[in-house]
Amino acid sequence: MASNMNQSAEAALVIDDVVKRFGRGQEIVTAVDHVSFSVKQGEFVSVIGPSGCGKSTLFNIIGGLLGDYEGAVKIGDERISAPHPAVGMVFQEESTFPWRTVIDNVAFPLELQGVAKSERIDRAHHFIDMVGLASFEKAFPSQLSGGMKQRVSIARTLVSQPKILLMDEPFAALDEQTRLLLGDKITQIQQQLNQTTLLITHNLTEAVQLSDRIVVMTYRPGRVKRIVNIDLPRPRTSDVVGSDAFGHYVAEIWNDLREEASRGMADSESAASRRAAHG
Amino acid sequence: MAAAGKISVASRDVLALRLLVALVIFGAWEAMSRSGLFYGEVVPSLLKIGASLMKLLVDPIFYRNLQVTTVETILALAIGAGAGITTGIALGANRFLMRAFEPYVYYLSPTPRIILFPVMIMWFGVGPASKIALGALSAFFAIALSTAAGMRQIDPVLIRVGRSFRANIWQMAMKIYLPAMRVPILNGIRLGMGTAIITVLLGETKLSNQGLGYLIMQVYTRFDMPGLYALLIMIFVIAGAVNALIGHFARD
Ligand SMILES: Nc1ncnc2c1ncn2[C@@H]1O[C@H](COP(=O)(O)OP(=O)(O)OP(=O)(O)O)[C@@H](O)[C@H]1O
Ligand SMILES: [Mg+2]
Repeated sequence: MASNMNQSAEAALVIDDVVKRFGRGQEIVTAVDHVSFSVKQGEFVSVIGPSGCGKSTLFNIIGGLLGDYEGAVKIGDERISAPHPAVGMVFQEESTFPWRTVIDNVAFPLELQGVAKSERIDRAHHFIDMVGLASFEKAFPSQLSGGMKQRVSIARTLVSQPKILLMDEPFAALDEQTRLLLGDKITQIQQQLNQTTLLITHNLTEAVQLSDRIVVMTYRPGRVKRIVNIDLPRPRTSDVVGSDAFGHYVAEIWNDLREEASRGMADSESAASRRAAHG
Repeated sequence: MAAAGKISVASRDVLALRLLVALVIFGAWEAMSRSGLFYGEVVPSLLKIGASLMKLLVDPIFYRNLQVTTVETILALAIGAGAGITTGIALGANRFLMRAFEPYVYYLSPTPRIILFPVMIMWFGVGPASKIALGALSAFFAIALSTAAGMRQIDPVLIRVGRSFRANIWQMAMKIYLPAMRVPILNGIRLGMGTAIITVLLGETKLSNQGLGYLIMQVYTRFDMPGLYALLIMIFVIAGAVNALIGHFARD
């Protein structure tokens, strides 16, 4: 809680007392409840919390896609209410364009910027290679698996070289091995470009592997429960997953998370039994 | 392998049935024609229709009028599609506009456009312009409606992707909305083309000095029944071919 006070000058992204409610009257749902934290320039921060705690809502607010909210998300001095040029987003949902090939999907942001075709192809090629899809450049998304499509979306956002990278559960559709390896690649780029990264996840291993800090959210309404510094050495690779320190962090955060997750489970169970009683 | 075999047998059966239906119709037609029950040449023999068809196919007058109707239909469709797609996108993208204009589009679209023909004649004269205007009007509704419906079935995350990369309105339309709606738009164009052809031909039969509709009326006033049927067959064939062509592109 206290760490949101030190909003230093080097903060690239400040989330200040953000509240978002959906619906009106009796039906009102508070998805994000007075959330504050900041992300320093070049820092990798993960937001972790049980399903339905408002992570995607916060993601959309920071991305400027949900302009109507209370509090402030700030990049520099600017309060975000529309998509900001410094921000690149990777969505939780499958979001490739089905009518474009892999390479044309990835080149999409460059096309919008009016980058010349040959340069577009070169730059897209580089990132497709990086996510391990070099032999699928001419394929259409319908010919790819869910995890491969998600890697296309990641490459598409990386190609635009955003200063601030936002990702909403980008690895959810991947198997464990691919997830670890792709995590390494992301860490590499992030370190090289000194990219500020905010990762939304409900995977604890992934959060500890990649992050400098982890923001643990409560189950509804989504509040910040705790912010944990991950003091594992950098450069860091997926090898860190085997270390004692790693295990210690996972156990520590899991304690907090279990509480919230079981509240979430109890909530949905009681909702289910209410429904059963009514039916 | 077994499945493939089954499919080809099934499609062979379908083809056989189709052929049978055609033969029955032809047979019935020929029987009616020879029975003498119908006045004069109302049901001419297939042979006579065939002969007229051959004559028609080498007749420069047919091609001149075909060209007029084709140009009228294409222009009508182009204008109707341009206006229809733009309107459809505007209505589909903006809930406020949709709520305001939906009743107009829905209630006006089923009214027969031909009742506006006299107005079009006054505005645009008896030449091709009045047919083009009427055809465009009829194509417009079909295309606007299916474009607006297509807008609502776009995966919303694709629109968020476009917004997150800060695509401008033009880029959103050209790179996301239009490709995402290719199938519904092409279906709308197919429907629009159907009504445009009908309306243009209808207009030509009412009041004109050229075009296939005009030719039909000429043949009719001469009471050249085989010629009339030959002309109708040609129109069926052409409309069917164009329809199949658009249908081919509309497939996923
Ligand atoms: N557009 C909306 N209208 C109404 N309620 C919404 C809307 N979007 C989200 N909510 C509600 O807000 C809450 C948080 O949703 P959100 O999608 O942010 O959760 P999440 O943490 O991303 O979950 P998950 O991990 O399953 O993706 C949920 O209760 C959801 O029902
Ligand atoms: Mg989510």
